[in-house]
Amino acid sequence: MQADQNLDCKGLSCPMPIIKLAKTIKKMNSGEVLEMLGTDPGSKSDVPAWCEKTGNVFLEQSEEDGTYKFYIKKK
Amino acid sequence: MFKKGVLRELFDSLFGKSWPMWVGGILLAMMNILLFVIKYPWGSSSGYTNIGQNLFQILGVTSLGTKVPISLHAVALLNIFVVVGAFVSSLFSREFGIRISPVGELVKGFVGGALMAIGATAGAGCTTGGFFTGLAALSAGALTLAAGFMIGTFVALRYLLWEMEALPNISMGKSFTLLTGTGKKTGWQRWLGWILIAVVLFLFSTYTASNSGAMKIIGWHVMIGLILGMILQRSRYCIVRAFREPFMTGEATAPVAVILSILIALVGFTVIKYFGVGNAGEFAARAIEMKGVYANFWLRALIGGIIFGLGMTIAGGCAVGTLWRAGEGHVKLWMAALGFVIMAPISKGFIVPAVKKILPESMQKHLFLPDILGYTGAVVLVLFILLLWFMFAKWNEKTGKFSAL
Repeated sequence: MQADQNLDCKGLSCPMPIIKLAKTIKKMNSGEVLEMLGTDPGSKSDVPAWCEKTGNVFLEQSEEDGTYKFYIKKK
Repeated sequence: MFKKGVLRELFDSLFGKSWPMWVGGILLAMMNILLFVIKYPWGSSSGYTNIGQNLFQILGVTSLGTKVPISLHAVALLNIFVVVGAFVSSLFSREFGIRISPVGELVKGFVGGALMAIGATAGAGCTTGGFFTGLAALSAGALTLAAGFMIGTFVALRYLLWEMEALPNISMGKSFTLLTGTGKKTGWQRWLGWILIAVVLFLFSTYTASNSGAMKIIGWHVMIGLILGMILQRSRYCIVRAFREPFMTGEATAPVAVILSILIALVGFTVIKYFGVGNAGEFAARAIEMKGVYANFWLRALIGGIIFGLGMTIAGGCAVGTLWRAGEGHVKLWMAALGFVIMAPISKGFIVPAVKKILPESMQKHLFLPDILGYTGAVVLVLFILLLWFMFAKWNEKTGKFSAL
């Protein structure tokens, strides 16, 4: 998937990934896609929940070798 | 004969995906009631203190040491086996991985842990023993402790948001992730989990085979620690989130889960206290009533709560939250546990005596709410406060009035 913006949260644990995600999304334009990387298993449920709460679109998530990858489209 | 199918299905439904946090809340409350019946309701910080005291003892600093070894300290063992339980459960669910965060985060972990140690000892209570257990045990101090957590969490969250803008390098830089459950050659991880369960069963049977009642109690703490750790990791139960989330994302999931667990523990504890249930006559009825009630109402708990609230938010886990995240492999939380363990004996040796001396008796009361309100009044008061908290969290979830993100 093509991303307009990248965010690396590898190694970080709760709540840092969500704080960074919110800050990054805030600076993006509507319709742009963010690719976020992280290693906290909590993010698997936290990121979709945050998207639902804020109205941003959670596109997809995958996992490889302990790194989770999320795609989020700004509303 | 059953095929492997059904058991495999059961295993996958337990470890395939996270449990809702409220499910964890219910199960943890039931375990807390069991701990109360066995000896004393759930607490955590005194276990950290004991481990730290043993560390100082080994290093030759006997003034901060203790004669009680970890192997005979029920709460220290409970803590250790919560870590083991969370480790096993993260191995089973392929969520284990040693995650080394950037150096700035590791420092925040250590400082957060040290602050929690000061808060928990100076205020006589952490989020688990002082608040979750304390409120369910109708301890007056739990109320001001909670107010302190709220203030501390709010301030520390503001700091984190400021840090992100002003000092972004703290949370950036090199990070490493090792031994993850979804990498190559990970078959050994689930086997290691089973081996650890076998080890715990062996320890449990060794302790409980003793003729001494104290040893049997310790054996049960080993076993319950393992179970608590697994429940905590699967449900990602987190009291920090219960206090932080309304100010951060506004989600009410964590507050609801914690409120539910307190509600269930409240019912169990009240019955135990009211009827003086427990422990083969070892404790007199009054001693049972006063379990989980601490001499910290009101200012002592408020100050301790603020310091603890700052620490848990910076570290990203309270006393118990640190344990299960450490078991899952977050090195930042290993640092928090280390900071807690080192600072707790120091604080107990120097800060606590000073606090007790400076504060007047009326600000560190050992107050059991039913003594002034009766059982009915005390339970209604706690129910009312839980209801207010629930309404605030739900209202804020809709309106986002207090949420920063």
